[in-house]
Amino acid sequence: MSLEELAFIVLAAVALFTAVAALLVRELVHTILWIAVFFVDISAIYFLLEAPFLGVLQLGVYAGAVTVLLLFGVMLTRKRIFSREAVTGLDAVPLSLAVVTFIFVVTAVGQLPQSSETLSVYDPTLLSQNLFGTNGPWLLLLGLLMMGAVAGSIYLVREGRE
Amino acid sequence: MTALPLVGFVALSSALFAVGLFGILTRRNFILVLIAIEIAMNAAILNFVYFGAFSNGTAGLTGQAVAVVLIGFAATEVAVGLAIVLALNRVKGTINVAQANELKL
Amino acid sequence: MRRLEWGGWVSVAFSGAAMVVGVLIGVGEMVNPGTYTDVRYTWLHLAPAPGPFPNGFSLVVGTLVDPISALMLIVVTVVGFLVMLYSIGYMHQDRGLPRYYAELSLFLTAMSGLVLADNLLEFFVFWELVGVCSYFLIGFYYEKPSAASAAKEAFIVTRVGDIMFLLGIFLYFYNFALAGPAGSGGWAANGFLFVNGNQPYLLGHGLGGNSTLLTVAGIMILGGAAGKSAQFPLHVWLPDAMEGPTTVSALIHAATMVAAGVYLLAVASLFLGFTSTDQLAIVGIGGFTAFFAATMAVVHPDIKRVIAYSTISQLGYMVMAVGAGFAMVGLFHLFTHAFFKALLFLAAGSVIHAVGTQDLFKMGGLRKTMRLTAIAFAVGGLALAGIPPFAGFWSKDDILSAVYSQLGSHPAYWPFFLLAFAAVFLTAYYIFRAWFLAFSGDHPRDPSLGHAHEGPWTMQVPLVLLSALACGAGLLIFVPGFQSLLLSGAGATGIPPVYGTTDLLISAASVALGVSGIALAWVLWGNGRVYALPETSAAQPVRRLLLKRYYFKIGYDWIGAKGVYTIARAADFFDRFVIDGTVHGFERAFALVSNRLRRIQSGVVSDYAAYVVAGLIALFVILLIVAPYVVSRLGGG
Repeated sequence: MSLEELAFIVLAAVALFTAVAALLVRELVHTILWIAVFFVDISAIYFLLEAPFLGVLQLGVYAGAVTVLLLFGVMLTRKRIFSREAVTGLDAVPLSLAVVTFIFVVTAVGQLPQSSETLSVYDPTLLSQNLFGTNGPWLLLLGLLMMGAVAGSIYLVREGRE
Repeated sequence: MTALPLVGFVALSSALFAVGLFGILTRRNFILVLIAIEIAMNAAILNFVYFGAFSNGTAGLTGQAVAVVLIGFAATEVAVGLAIVLALNRVKGTINVAQANELKL
Repeated sequence: MRRLEWGGWVSVAFSGAAMVVGVLIGVGEMVNPGTYTDVRYTWLHLAPAPGPFPNGFSLVVGTLVDPISALMLIVVTVVGFLVMLYSIGYMHQDRGLPRYYAELSLFLTAMSGLVLADNLLEFFVFWELVGVCSYFLIGFYYEKPSAASAAKEAFIVTRVGDIMFLLGIFLYFYNFALAGPAGSGGWAANGFLFVNGNQPYLLGHGLGGNSTLLTVAGIMILGGAAGKSAQFPLHVWLPDAMEGPTTVSALIHAATMVAAGVYLLAVASLFLGFTSTDQLAIVGIGGFTAFFAATMAVVHPDIKRVIAYSTISQLGYMVMAVGAGFAMVGLFHLFTHAFFKALLFLAAGSVIHAVGTQDLFKMGGLRKTMRLTAIAFAVGGLALAGIPPFAGFWSKDDILSAVYSQLGSHPAYWPFFLLAFAAVFLTAYYIFRAWFLAFSGDHPRDPSLGHAHEGPWTMQVPLVLLSALACGAGLLIFVPGFQSLLLSGAGATGIPPVYGTTDLLISAASVALGVSGIALAWVLWGNGRVYALPETSAAQPVRRLLLKRYYFKIGYDWIGAKGVYTIARAADFFDRFVIDGTVHGFERAFALVSNRLRRIQSGVVSDYAAYVVAGLIALFVILLIVAPYVVSRLGGG
């Protein structure tokens, strides 16, 4: 077992554990802590996959911005931050749906030909050239879309609207 | 160069996706649902990066480029989702999705 | 009102123009006898293809002027014009004048189209138009329940005949679609035309087909003609058709509706051909009807209905002549009959117009106040009774001689010949019974009818003209041009009026019968007498039977009321319980299922997400399990 494999197994285990923990804990603020750990863990996996740019992006956007946004959401919708959620158990039907989906996805991907077991390494410069050169117009469009989404969000939450 | 099994990655992302799905289906708190969506979304983004990393040529770059775009999408989606949460909270006084059942006949 | 009458003059003008053209066409055909002028247009042509019509299939519209259509055209346009003119006076106070003239014009158009049609399909189209026009006009006073029901009766009874006619057309198509002169491609490929050049299309090719089917086809054609021409057993509608205006009765009885049936038989006999079985059936129906209808006319108190029965009877003569193989002789009688029957009806209409009743027993002594009408009615009656030299004599005599000439080779015609002969006596009797009852005597039997007077000139002119025609139309047979018109038709076998010993004997016998009929009428009803059959007489049941019209109408009503109603009840039951039951069953099943399914619409978003995931899983199952399994079982790649 190489060092990379060991690292992957550990990171994967942490990712799964934090994801499940985030959904099962009773306090919403704890959930957000667990999900922050989850985002950091995913970022580490990106570094493991030789995608440092993505890793940094993940840290900035997810572990940073999204987590803070969620925290604000919790604060704005609660009188007391540390209030407990009603107990929700493991419903059999959604659980089995999720498990069956998992099995099918793994089965389907397992049937794919395994083209290469060697990771290619890409310089972030190449990625930036690809992103802002070749796909520049699309990125611009994405920016416009996000701007529209933010404007829509502001419209949704603005005061005096019933 | 590292040598990692593809099946392992796929198993991880599938498992994460299944966890997210489970959360979407069972949680009644809208913020928890949003978090579950984020988990499932991260699983999907991971897939792009893996398959890019395991292929030759510019396909790997494309995978990462798509991942960047998707992270942007996800951030936007969280913003919109939280706006909906706030609006729902103001209108119904709760963020329980089971209470938001105006679609019912 | 005044403006409405000006509208009537438009119809009169156009039918007058039609009369001029029609007579000119007739004269043209007399000058060049035996020519066939066929102007046609193919409006649908199917290319030759394997199947029932290997040479193709055509539908044609066109006009064919040949001897019989020229003869009929004269009748239709002349009588039509005179009836139109008479209507100006007769209908002058009616509120439905626009409708009346529109329908009457359509009626004449349909009839002209019928006689000018050059193929069987076009013929049928105009045939149906004639039928629907008769429905409109018989039901002209539709506010009157009896008129509305008479219109329906006429339509339904003739419909029975129409359906038989249609079946006959199908059978002829089936038999003859590919028949025809060599190289012509067959009847179907040429649009079912009646003639080819100067020859009937199927002449020499027709009767080579399946003779049983041809016999059935001929019987079907006879059925159609019997419906239109009110032959036994479809005669019931014609007397009831008297509910329409008298002018319409005149038109229906003389030139249009009932003439169409005889014309159909003549066309079928000349262009399609009948088997000998068909001929016997036609002669039988015709001869029997001639007698049968005459008996009912003997007792009837209604002036119009007496004339109506006489029409049925006379049509029987024509049908018999056509059946015996003398289509042109039958049409000659149709020709003369049209004039004297129109005359009788218009004279009767004049009487009704003047006295306001149709009951003969209320009239009487009218000859003093209505001299012209009395003379006209008498001329019509003499023509109908077959007294020389009036028109009816020549044509009726021609029929009797013609049928007589066939008795040697067809002994089965004997009884019908004798029935037709006996009908001559009855005819003379009943028509002069009507005349004596209406016109003789000193005064009306019903004193309230004292104010009778002649109609305006528009009513008198047609009476005079038709009287002249009823006197002279029969003599046309001695005009060479007219004679050749009758004899020149291809496939037409007519007998020229030679008046040899046999013919003279038959003529003498029929004239003697006619005169004795008139004499009997004089003895019983003349000079204002009213003969009452003694209540104890053995003939009373017969009289009642005749007045009840042999219970045919009651029987048909019973079939209609009981038979059809029972079927309708059964259909209603089927509809209500089987069809509706099925429909409602489906409805309830769907309601039940959807009530159950409604519960999955919880309105909760995560439930819908679960359905989406379930669909995703179903997709996985299909793609990863079902599809590979199916592919492996099929053994394909």
